[in-house]
Amino acid sequence: MTILTRLEQWKEQGKISPEQHAHLAGLSRGEPLTLFLELNVLLYAGVLAFVGGLGWTVSTWSQQLGDALVLTVLSTILATSFWYCFSRAPAWSPAETPAPSPIFDYVLYLGSLIWSLELAYLENRFHVLSGKLDLYLLATAVLFFFLAYRFDNRLVLSLGLSSLAGWFGLTISHWSAHQDAAYRQYALLYCLLVGVGGALLQRRSLKPHFFGTYLNIVANVLFWALLSGVFNRQGYGLWFLALLIACGASVAWGLARRQFAFVAYAAVYGYVGVSSLILRGVTDESAFLGYFVVSGVAMLVVLVLIGRRFGRKA
Amino acid sequence: MRLYSTSSEETLRARKLLTDWVGEGFLTKAQYQLLEQETVSELRTTNIFLRLVLFLFTLISVSAAAGLFYVVSRPSEQTAGVFFLIFAAVCYAAAEAAVSQLRLYRYGIEEALAVCSVGFLCAGLEVAFFSGSVYSPKEFLVPAAGVVFSLWIWLRFGLSYAFLAAMIFALFLPGYWISSREAQRLIIAMFYAIGLAGVASVHSRHRFDYLEEAYSLVEAFLWLGIYLAINLQLSLLNLSARWWDGTRAAAQFAGPFYWGTWVLIWCLPPIVLARGIRQKDRFVIAVGAIVASLTLVSNKPYLGWPRHTWDPMLLGILLTGVAFFIRRWLARGPGGIRHGFTAARLSGKDKHWINIGATVLGPLSPHSITPDPQPSSPDFRFGGGQTGGGGAGGDF
Repeated sequence: MTILTRLEQWKEQGKISPEQHAHLAGLSRGEPLTLFLELNVLLYAGVLAFVGGLGWTVSTWSQQLGDALVLTVLSTILATSFWYCFSRAPAWSPAETPAPSPIFDYVLYLGSLIWSLELAYLENRFHVLSGKLDLYLLATAVLFFFLAYRFDNRLVLSLGLSSLAGWFGLTISHWSAHQDAAYRQYALLYCLLVGVGGALLQRRSLKPHFFGTYLNIVANVLFWALLSGVFNRQGYGLWFLALLIACGASVAWGLARRQFAFVAYAAVYGYVGVSSLILRGVTDESAFLGYFVVSGVAMLVVLVLIGRRFGRKA
Repeated sequence: MRLYSTSSEETLRARKLLTDWVGEGFLTKAQYQLLEQETVSELRTTNIFLRLVLFLFTLISVSAAAGLFYVVSRPSEQTAGVFFLIFAAVCYAAAEAAVSQLRLYRYGIEEALAVCSVGFLCAGLEVAFFSGSVYSPKEFLVPAAGVVFSLWIWLRFGLSYAFLAAMIFALFLPGYWISSREAQRLIIAMFYAIGLAGVASVHSRHRFDYLEEAYSLVEAFLWLGIYLAINLQLSLLNLSARWWDGTRAAAQFAGPFYWGTWVLIWCLPPIVLARGIRQKDRFVIAVGAIVASLTLVSNKPYLGWPRHTWDPMLLGILLTGVAFFIRRWLARGPGGIRHGFTAARLSGKDKHWINIGATVLGPLSPHSITPDPQPSSPDFRFGGGQTGGGGAGGDF
């Protein structure tokens, strides 16, 4: 029985109204067909390509173009973007607010990226902050957080979290080159600050729908940091214990809130950590592979049990 | 042929739609609870995260078991090949049993077993019959078996990525038959075109049923495959080297063939877009937009023209402008609808995907927006690929 037949049946049984039937049958037939997602992807790709090209052009031709022209162009785009956002935005509300226009979020994203570009240019050419990258990143993070909360924009919130991570000295591209203790501690401090900050903001009902973004970023940074500690040749015991606690907490949170991404994080990061410890010093190929057979099956059993107990059953 | 009954899959689809509709407020909670009872399926599903993790651990277990067997028994190559074939059969039987006995549906486990069976089959054929020998014209049987078995998995289990795997296996076939690169590309495009004709004819019979989305996705894959086969500037091999020097690609192919493909890469996007719009097919429309963008991006290398740093800016303006225009045009129609299309959000899934994209792409995108500067200005370096801000730590 297709969905159209079902809808017809439900209408005849009075379970849905004729208006609902007409609307839902139309949706099932793709009438109208929504291009919402496609147009959003196009806008995002367009903004990214534009800023990418602009950054590339500035970096290549700034000497020929001259500082005045570069800064004028960047400042004009920046000012126009922010003027558009501030002039169009509705009054601020702590709850989730829909964007006032379909392009609003992308204009704000454009402005935020241009801000980064212009500040980087200024610093590079005039050493405004005398090489104090930290201050630049912190100021940028503060601005992005303000913009994200003012205009209810997840893209800019992610930029803010990433800039704050930069202030703590964490970058995605340089992770492997900085696996020292200090770096790990900064990562933990970052997790603590962002996690507690996100939780407090959620408790105060300030854009509580952002909490998921905070948690996902914190969980991943935390697990990376703990894993890097577990990979240490010495003094890894505490890190391993912390990893187990984090995995337990992640599973508990994921099951309680039915956010299974956290169960997945715990399963994968936990498995990597435990495996690295067990297989440390194992040189025998059979033992090595045997471990993966046994542990893989054990993980499957546990996950199937979790899935049957908590996962969706159709 | 399909492992799952039509009624089971239709019921699952109805259930998913109900969840989506109640989320969007098209149904009341009370209606949802009432209707939900009528959409109970015997199939066992799980959420996407557990599905991915179950897939991963099944893959680890099965691969490790095969590796363990190899290490312990140290068989000769031919014996190992035979055992790989046995592994393939065991994995496939296990996948079938997981569905028929445990009623698993997109559960990760049965998918990984099916994927392993394809991998073991190809490895087994290669090791049992062709390893250690010089080139054999019959070696094409390995990718051919991959094509056939992947297609079987697609038909039997309904896994769209198995069809994609079949398309990838098909890429290797012409290399065994003919050395001409032009002919190889033509054969690949012809394979995909034949597949497209077949899928399109079946697709039309499944309008509005549970198979519509699956056929739509496969059709989109085939259109994309045809485009990639004929676009000589988007070769998977040596892509970056060709990017800056279109003449090199031109020199590798005969002139008429080269310019014929240039004409085709301009003809295909409007055809794909027209097909997608006419069929109201989101996947095909999306592929149409992708291939149109790829044509714009690869046109200069095709013509041997130098690329400029501001090209991405122009592309960005074009993409944004097109999106803005379409959205505005649709919104101004009666009820925000024109010709059966709307720019309004009708499904919670769309918002969900945008939220995921914002969380994931937000922090990553600044790292990719500023490529390394060209050597034309060696004394000045700025950006270097990590402009900072969201890029977090650019070394400017």
